[in-house]
Amino acid sequence: MAGPTNHPGFLLSTLERAVAWARTRSTWPATFGLACCAIEMMATGAAHNDLARFGMEVFRASPRQADLMIVAGRLSQKMAPVLRQVYDQMTEPKWVISMGACASTGGMFNNYALVQGVDQVVPVDMYVPGCPPGPQSLMHGILSLHEAIRAGRLQRDVRVFA
Amino acid sequence: MADAPDQVSITLDGRVVEVPRGALLIAAAIEAGTYIPHFCWHPRMKPVGMCRMCLVEIDTPRGKMLTTSCTTPVADGMVVETSSPVVKKAQEGVIEFLLINHPLDCPVCDKGGECPLQDQTLAYGPGDGRFVEEKRHYPKPIPISDLVALDRERCILCARCTRFSEEISGDPLIEFVDRGNHVEVNTFPNHPFTSYFSGNTVQICPVGALTARPYRFRARPWDLEAVEAVSTVDSVHSKVSLEASMNEIVRISGVDCDPTNQGWLSDKDRFVYEHLLADDRVVVPLIANGDGFREASWGEAVGLAASRLADLGGAVAGLGGARSTNEDAYVFSRFLRGVVGTPHLDAQLDDGLAPEFAAAVEPRALIDDLDDADAILLWGPDLKEELPVLYLRVRKAATAGAKLVVVHPRRTGLDDVAAHTIRYRPGEGPALLRRLAAGEGDLAEARDALGAGKVVALVGRPGLAEPAELAEAVAAFALTLDDARILPLVRRGNVFGALDMGLAPTLLPGRVSVDDAERRRALAARWGSLPDGVGMGATDILEAAASGRIGALVLLGVDPVRDHPRPDLARRALERAFVVALDLFVTDSTRHADVVLPVAGLGEIQGTVTNLEGRVQKLNRVVPPPGQARPAWSILDDLAAALGSELEADAVEKIFEELATLAPAYEGLTWDRFDWAEGRDGVVVPLEGVTPPLRHVPSDPGLAVVSERPALHLARVLYDDGVLVRHCPSLASLAPEAAAHLHPRDASVLAVREGDRVRLEGVGVVELPVVLDPTLAEGTVYVPFNLAETAALGAVPSVRIDVVREAGS
Amino acid sequence: MSWFAGLLGPWRGFAVTLRQMFRPKVTTQYPEEKRVKPQRFHGRHVLNRYPDGMEKCIGCELCAGVCPARCIYVRGADNPPEDPVSPGERFGYVYEINMLRCIFCALCVEACPTEAITMTHLFEMSVTSREDAIYTKDELLVEPDGTPRHPQPEGPLVDLDELRRGHGWLRATAPSGRAAYEGIVAWTPSATYGEPPPERGQAGVTDETDGES
Repeated sequence: MAGPTNHPGFLLSTLERAVAWARTRSTWPATFGLACCAIEMMATGAAHNDLARFGMEVFRASPRQADLMIVAGRLSQKMAPVLRQVYDQMTEPKWVISMGACASTGGMFNNYALVQGVDQVVPVDMYVPGCPPGPQSLMHGILSLHEAIRAGRLQRDVRVFA
Repeated sequence: MADAPDQVSITLDGRVVEVPRGALLIAAAIEAGTYIPHFCWHPRMKPVGMCRMCLVEIDTPRGKMLTTSCTTPVADGMVVETSSPVVKKAQEGVIEFLLINHPLDCPVCDKGGECPLQDQTLAYGPGDGRFVEEKRHYPKPIPISDLVALDRERCILCARCTRFSEEISGDPLIEFVDRGNHVEVNTFPNHPFTSYFSGNTVQICPVGALTARPYRFRARPWDLEAVEAVSTVDSVHSKVSLEASMNEIVRISGVDCDPTNQGWLSDKDRFVYEHLLADDRVVVPLIANGDGFREASWGEAVGLAASRLADLGGAVAGLGGARSTNEDAYVFSRFLRGVVGTPHLDAQLDDGLAPEFAAAVEPRALIDDLDDADAILLWGPDLKEELPVLYLRVRKAATAGAKLVVVHPRRTGLDDVAAHTIRYRPGEGPALLRRLAAGEGDLAEARDALGAGKVVALVGRPGLAEPAELAEAVAAFALTLDDARILPLVRRGNVFGALDMGLAPTLLPGRVSVDDAERRRALAARWGSLPDGVGMGATDILEAAASGRIGALVLLGVDPVRDHPRPDLARRALERAFVVALDLFVTDSTRHADVVLPVAGLGEIQGTVTNLEGRVQKLNRVVPPPGQARPAWSILDDLAAALGSELEADAVEKIFEELATLAPAYEGLTWDRFDWAEGRDGVVVPLEGVTPPLRHVPSDPGLAVVSERPALHLARVLYDDGVLVRHCPSLASLAPEAAAHLHPRDASVLAVREGDRVRLEGVGVVELPVVLDPTLAEGTVYVPFNLAETAALGAVPSVRIDVVREAGS
Repeated sequence: MSWFAGLLGPWRGFAVTLRQMFRPKVTTQYPEEKRVKPQRFHGRHVLNRYPDGMEKCIGCELCAGVCPARCIYVRGADNPPEDPVSPGERFGYVYEINMLRCIFCALCVEACPTEAITMTHLFEMSVTSREDAIYTKDELLVEPDGTPRHPQPEGPLVDLDELRRGHGWLRATAPSGRAAYEGIVAWTPSATYGEPPPERGQAGVTDETDGES
């Protein structure tokens, strides 16, 4: 698998790869369970599926320590600013998985109360279909994300605010 | 027993109810809130008792008996059971029988989901069938016309379609054939179901036996989003339901509105939605660029139009508005008079009637007056071709006993039910009118028919080659009768609304004459300014534009090159002037425009429209306009802003409120009124107690007789080459062959046979094949107006005929 | 002796850890091994074909009508008579499912009058853009041999062989679930290799393979 192609050079390229690998292996999730999907998200962390195998066992309660936000459940209009705030408080680099139908598109709740897709609030890197997605569906999303991080496909420019 | 003389009381499932005397039991029961299932019975048609679904138990001296409630009139003291075990068993049996041969292809049937047979099988059926044998099979579906497909397997032989064709539309082209188990509904061999009303049979078919080919497999009933609106194809304004799926109107159905269409539509009303989906609709502003157009932004297009209009000062004129809503027409009127400052504007193209006559004739008839009229005088267009739904209403009145007198240069659709038909050569109308008024010779009987009782005079222009004043003369004659009311006939969609909004050189909004000083002051106070004097009409405007005296034309949904009686003049005018066109399409006229601004069409805008009897009804919106198209009022508001004026037209409700305060005839109307109760059927203006300032009593204009031969009878046909029909694939193919119709005796004088070609010279020259028409008045050439081949001819009183002899023949 | 017990306490805790180390692991080693799905698992949809290769879908839009999330878009068209796509007059010429809207309730499967749409055991559908989550007819329709298609190329996380194992969900017994229909296949199975056996269990009969495929 080739490294980040937009960063030429030998020495730094290798370093980038090392950094990408490190990030891949310790993508700590922030807890953002909003509804039933959160149950499956918890199950993913538990023994039968064991996210620790991918260095992700620590669901962080503080956004400052998290790299990956798993939005698990329907996002109401009232919750949206909170979600955005938590996202903003996460340190770069950071990623978002939109888990399940409601988080991704609003699902069957096409109504005034719900945000029709969290990508209206935060940039989403991976969408996981399902209602709710089972642990292995979620893991498929996580592993796909890992693959993308490792390959450097999802690297965003880090914006620095003065 | 009932108290009122016209009421009887019956016992309906143990409940005593008062019902109208003479009503059919099924109608009375449904009115009283007890639903009786039925297939063949239709409230607008005579009962036949064919489907047996409406069986009820009635107490008779011989005990309880099962009877079809659709054929039984109510009687005082009748005791009726609609849901006893015996009735239930009968209903289950009927459904089981009906389903013996009905195929189970509901998932692919266009009716599936809104099918009375489905619904009633669920509600009243046995839930199981005992018939295990093979069902009847026919080839399916067979196209019986360009619009309707027939699936005989699904037919339950209710005779709704055949009765409609015979009773209502008067063209019995669909009938039962064969006997016994082989009975099937079908058309006559080699004769398609070419009725103008065939779509109604599709709508009333209680199964999916008749389906509309344009709608075939386009959507299912449950994904249709429907709103009520009216059809603006002609000025009758039939109530319709616009049904859309995935933001496209895919079907138009008739809605039973008692004062207008009573549930029926013409096929043009029904399938005209196709033009909204046409690929070549204008969806972005266009600016002329060499021979063609280039796409532009709204800012650029409106800016260009406004700067040119501003440069020209008052040398601007406006045409059109007769296909738009009242709000569009009002804003157009205000824009031209108040912002541009021109008195030159006309909604008609000299193809209609005099504005005062059409807008403010007194006493004006309602369509409903036809039903209790003793006699009907129709001197005007062939209603079947121009106002098909009004044709149905006149036909209904005439078959119910009103004496119908039809005066027309050739056979019309109503001749079958007319008591008297009178033919005349175009141009000799005034002479005929004098003879009719005097009851001379063979006209004595017709004169007698009109002499007594209530008369409704339907007056219009029989052909475009005849003067508009003829209608005025006929109306003046009608007023000499004892009890006559006038219904002026003009076809174009909202022409009456446009005249009411002041889109005529002699009218101000709300049936006000431009000379009315008091009203002028009130209007000028609101509009800022009002130009002095009477402006020019359409022909004068076009002449002035062609000669350069008018520098710019604003066209609102109008196609003068096709619709004006002098197409060459219209073309020269549009070529010379700076033209801003608000239109759906690049038409023969807007091709010459410098700026084309895309407007929204039917179902894409809200608004009100006024029909030929003055009934204001509301259009609702069901789909968004395509691309960047917008309502015309909003575009005109932008144009006005670019010219430095404020029209305050930012919501259709607000415009309506403004016109209801400024237009006297519309006084007292509110926007909400059209949504509820009786207002849903529309409101006839002026309201009771409101008297509009202008009341026009027709007087004989003293027309001269033109007796040049051969006279030209240039009349519209339902499916012409107009811009809407041309963009409806299903309707465009139905346009008749262009031909010069001659009386056989005239043809023999010219030594031509059917199919020979003749060259007609009017304003322009056209070459057409000859069709012999013995119903035509002698000395007359009939040419259908506005077909591709006849468009250049123009309307002149008489034409020159040259026979084209092919070399060697 | 309480101080002694206190001293021992931590070691007893370590003993628990030590004991667990020798117990069999419960963790499923996804992605290398996948949990066996119950027979009626609601996974990704497929559009099936008849054995002769004709499409079962007739474009009737009942699935779209019943869908609570309104994630299905179907449009019907007239079958070309010389080369029909499906039996009868009509076929579905557009068929799209937005997997991100879909709540996998299988009401579409229940509504389908021709058993054209069924659900498989496929569950790996993560995508990086919302457009990719709209499965078109090309992706939903099974190959003529009954193999579901996969919109993503084969990779570490996409096991095309999985497609052959995950068969279309089928209702093998009477719709009412009457015990008298135990073991009787009421209609033919759909997307799968071979024919799975009828379901068991409605008459109270169970065996250890029940619920697994």
